[in-house]
Amino acid sequence: MRLEKGVISSSQLMFLVTGLIQGSALTVAFITKIAKQDIWLVVLSGLVISLFLALIYISLAQKFPSKNLIQINDIIYGPYVGKLISALYLYFFLLIIPANLRFIGDFSLTYLMPETPMSVILIMFMFICAWAVRKGIEVIARTSIILVVITIIISLFTFVLLLKDMQLTNFLPILELSLKDYIQSTHIMMAIPFGEVLVFFMVIPYVNNIKQAKSSVLLGLIIGGLTILSVTVKFIAVLGITSTIMTSPYFEAVRLIDIAGIITRLEILVAIGLLITVFLKVSIFYYATVLGIAQLLNLRSYLPLVLPIGIICISLSFFLYASPVEEVESAVSIWPIWSIPFELLFPLSSLLIAKIRRLPKKQGG
Amino acid sequence: MIFLLILVFIVIGLIEVPVLIRNKHWRELIAFSFFLLVAFIMTLLQTLGVKLPSPLNSINYLIKDILHLNYG
Repeated sequence: MRLEKGVISSSQLMFLVTGLIQGSALTVAFITKIAKQDIWLVVLSGLVISLFLALIYISLAQKFPSKNLIQINDIIYGPYVGKLISALYLYFFLLIIPANLRFIGDFSLTYLMPETPMSVILIMFMFICAWAVRKGIEVIARTSIILVVITIIISLFTFVLLLKDMQLTNFLPILELSLKDYIQSTHIMMAIPFGEVLVFFMVIPYVNNIKQAKSSVLLGLIIGGLTILSVTVKFIAVLGITSTIMTSPYFEAVRLIDIAGIITRLEILVAIGLLITVFLKVSIFYYATVLGIAQLLNLRSYLPLVLPIGIICISLSFFLYASPVEEVESAVSIWPIWSIPFELLFPLSSLLIAKIRRLPKKQGG
Repeated sequence: MIFLLILVFIVIGLIEVPVLIRNKHWRELIAFSFFLLVAFIMTLLQTLGVKLPSPLNSINYLIKDILHLNYG
């Protein structure tokens, strides 16, 4: 019994992965305080490590074609332990949605619409996401192409316009990071934007050509990583060490664009890019959560769960963090550790157990 | 405010429930009602101004106070 009838192509998968990574482009601000001007180095090393993580995920997904994470857990760990691990995974996915919603809400309250209540913004945002999820993965995949291309164009455009404000001396002193800070910031980088590729366990089964899934996920990761790299290079080159005291350094850097007093106030482009990529990210996680719950409870359709889960996410986003400061604190010191079992230990042990038990067993053999 | 909230939940129920009953999807109906009830209780408590505990508190407690694994 397939819950999802849609099929996506491997190039659409690539755009989805890119969109997911780009959705975290502004959360790099979490590690500016730790990594300072060496942040681009941290982004690169996080990207390289996460390529290996993605290889683990893909080889696991290719071992069990047309099975999603919940079914894989059921096969590998047996029905009871598998269900427990799946439930933990769903909790993990579920908490990422309100965190991103809260990020959007705080961002628009700070920079765009200070007088509007956060609930209005979040409800409108979540309504669109719920709509997309109800239409299925095919629709999300098709929108992803347009949205990702827009984001890449915005990124290149602001890069070109900021060239005259960039000072390469802002990157000095280079490699001044202590080992502990370096490890911590790489870990945060790995856990928050890149490790979230994990969610594609729920999407890869619906790719029409599973053989090409590997190259498209890796390519998507690299393109998304390069976008994040360009973001960090931009704000470090323009703002230098000042960026460590700002909540959203990329936004502040783009604010400085001023071409002859005519082309100004381009920071709204950054906000648009943020909104559309976070829409993609939230939709993918939302879809994975809803589909996972439907799979776990053996339902025939995931559609009835979309609205209740959406309301729960909006409600959670209000009391998840008391303040943006707490959000950064949690993202920096707690969340990376909390994500280790999900992003590293469970997939690795699943792969090992599948090897030892010689899974998947041949039908009728 | 509370009236508006109840209205929204009734509308959501009217959208979803008739289709489920027509197709005799009882299992789906139970799951839908459970999650909708959870959502209703959470939003109702928030509208009434009750401060709910964050689900991150338990994660913080587990990692910070039991395992001592957090970054300093």
